[in-house]
Amino acid sequence: MELINLGIKSIFIDNMVFAYFLGMCSFLAVSKKVNTALGLGMAVIFVLTITVPINWLLLEYILKEGALANSFGIDILATVDLSFLSFIMYIAVIAAMVQLVEMVIEKFSPALYGSLGIFLPLIAVNCAILGASLWMAERDYTLVEATVFGFSSGIGWLLAIIALAAIREKLKYSDVPDGLKGLGITMLLTGLMGIAFMSFMGIEI
Amino acid sequence: MSTQTVEKTIEKKPVEQVLSKRRKKFINDPLNDDNPITVQVLGICSALAVTTQMKPTLTMAISVIFVMVFSNLIISLIRSLVPTRVRIIVQLAIIATLVTLVSEVLMAYQYDMYKELSVFVGLIITNCIVMGRLEAFALANKPWDSVLDAVGNGLGYSWIILAVAFFREIFGSGKLFGWPLFEAIGLENFPNNGLMVTPVGAFFILGLIIWVQRNKTGYIEH
Amino acid sequence: MQQSNLYVIVFSAVLTIILGGLLALANQGLKPMQQKAIDLDTKKKILGAVTDLEGIKGDDIIDLYSQTIESIVVNLDGELVEKNEKGFDIEAEKVNIAKNFKKDSEERMYPVFKYHKAGDADAIEAYIFPVYGKGLWGPIWGFIALETDLNTIKGTSFDHKTETPGLGARITSTEIRDRYNGKKVFDDSGNLVSISMLKGENNSANVLDDHHIDGLSGATLTANGVNDMLENYFKYYLGYIKKSKSATEKVELLLKE
Repeated sequence: MELINLGIKSIFIDNMVFAYFLGMCSFLAVSKKVNTALGLGMAVIFVLTITVPINWLLLEYILKEGALANSFGIDILATVDLSFLSFIMYIAVIAAMVQLVEMVIEKFSPALYGSLGIFLPLIAVNCAILGASLWMAERDYTLVEATVFGFSSGIGWLLAIIALAAIREKLKYSDVPDGLKGLGITMLLTGLMGIAFMSFMGIEI
Repeated sequence: MSTQTVEKTIEKKPVEQVLSKRRKKFINDPLNDDNPITVQVLGICSALAVTTQMKPTLTMAISVIFVMVFSNLIISLIRSLVPTRVRIIVQLAIIATLVTLVSEVLMAYQYDMYKELSVFVGLIITNCIVMGRLEAFALANKPWDSVLDAVGNGLGYSWIILAVAFFREIFGSGKLFGWPLFEAIGLENFPNNGLMVTPVGAFFILGLIIWVQRNKTGYIEH
Repeated sequence: MQQSNLYVIVFSAVLTIILGGLLALANQGLKPMQQKAIDLDTKKKILGAVTDLEGIKGDDIIDLYSQTIESIVVNLDGELVEKNEKGFDIEAEKVNIAKNFKKDSEERMYPVFKYHKAGDADAIEAYIFPVYGKGLWGPIWGFIALETDLNTIKGTSFDHKTETPGLGARITSTEIRDRYNGKKVFDDSGNLVSISMLKGENNSANVLDDHHIDGLSGATLTANGVNDMLENYFKYYLGYIKKSKSATEKVELLLKE
């Protein structure tokens, strides 16, 4: 039950886009089509579901205070705290994972690879991916919670991004004031959608 | 026969002024015409969530400027040494190191602010502006120019997030830097707008700022 | 040459060593300050439940703490626990309440901070218990200070990370905290009743008895979270409270003889 609650919370209430603005950069700048958003979203879900647990393992067995002592049985290292290396290690894991995903997609679906283009490598610097790992560390999740969290955050991101892309597609036919065209109206839109998502607060199964 | 040797005076290229006109542009352009957040559409990510109050926003702004200046400087200095294949990874590694330094210093000297900013300090690593300027400028330009570019973009980024924070704090809780402004000027019961405190408020304020700015600069996105 | 594999490898290795070394240096150099900051933060919170720390500087707070707080760790039955599972000494201030909350109540470690007169460890003036629970958006936590009768509230301090400012976030304000002062945990028959926030504010005086206080209008869910947190933790510390009470009663009986 707790896990399902965590999942629901991560998708709707702690939504990466609407609650924390993460992962919007690369999306906002270019994508206006639902198809690209979908492809990107799936890649993000995949990367998140893999990197958050891997980073958890890294944190638990190597970086934490005393972790090295536990993993290798060397007691002298009991006070060694390598958590200051967390940022570098997380981003390294993420970059490596994204590289892997890129190679896999290129091999198995050249069409998708072509349509995603520059977005694929940009996933590595997507704030949402690193953000999920950082939150996992801060909130002290267990391995299972971390995986659920990663997966649901990805789903939440996908939902948000698809919804935004869909609305922006329709916006082509609207008469937006000049100063608001593009980024401005997207900001206001995201805000309105954020209000809608706030209605999920307090839900618990 | 006399051979006339024409003495050519070898013209020395004048050393460019420290803050020449060309260089001043590096600082001025990103403030409005080429603002990293509102025009280049970068760096929106990590900042908006902390803009509920001015103080954490200011800490964020200073941290980002620090990371940008030093990463631009370092990359520019070693730009001819970096192998192209690992370019992105090298950039990420340097940025991650600088951000870790900022985080460690905050934890030591400003623990309250460190706790309040939590993950958002780490997220400076994925702030598109930092990587963006490295790719677009520092890799191909000299160190001092790169530093100026970093300062300009950093300031452009900072003033936007500070503006958002200004409105959010004032209308969300009636305070500025924690100081009760409305009470001080006698409007004790000025209602607090709960929406400003939520992320939604940030989106709205940012959208409005962009509107105003684009009306002034005449930039229309298509 | 520059793009050859060997160059890439050498470059990467050198860069890794430089960056790694720089970070390690910074970490070692800053560690003492960081420890101090974390230490101060914990001690400020604990002392903040019993006294007003306004205007007292960091180092003075640490001094005050060492002069007035004796800390122990107990288990669910109220028995003293001195070593953790690995055999190391436990420091009450370092017990991570949030982490402990995830374990079953029988396996947790429960710190108790006894506030006594400066320099006189026997002249206990209050017992401070850390509490932890769930607010609306995220965790809430704090410290409850009980008078020597282990029944009346001497003071409280609450904190949160993600409650709504102006609504749930009010639990950190002095206004809300003061409401708890003087209220009682047990009823006259010795049953654990705890102290609950009623729905809404400005309730009439006849419902605001020893076990009830005004709630938070617009933040009922956070208030419920606080109520549950208090009730749960009074239950967890019941073992210790009973043991302490019977110990003081024994002393009083002995003194009478």
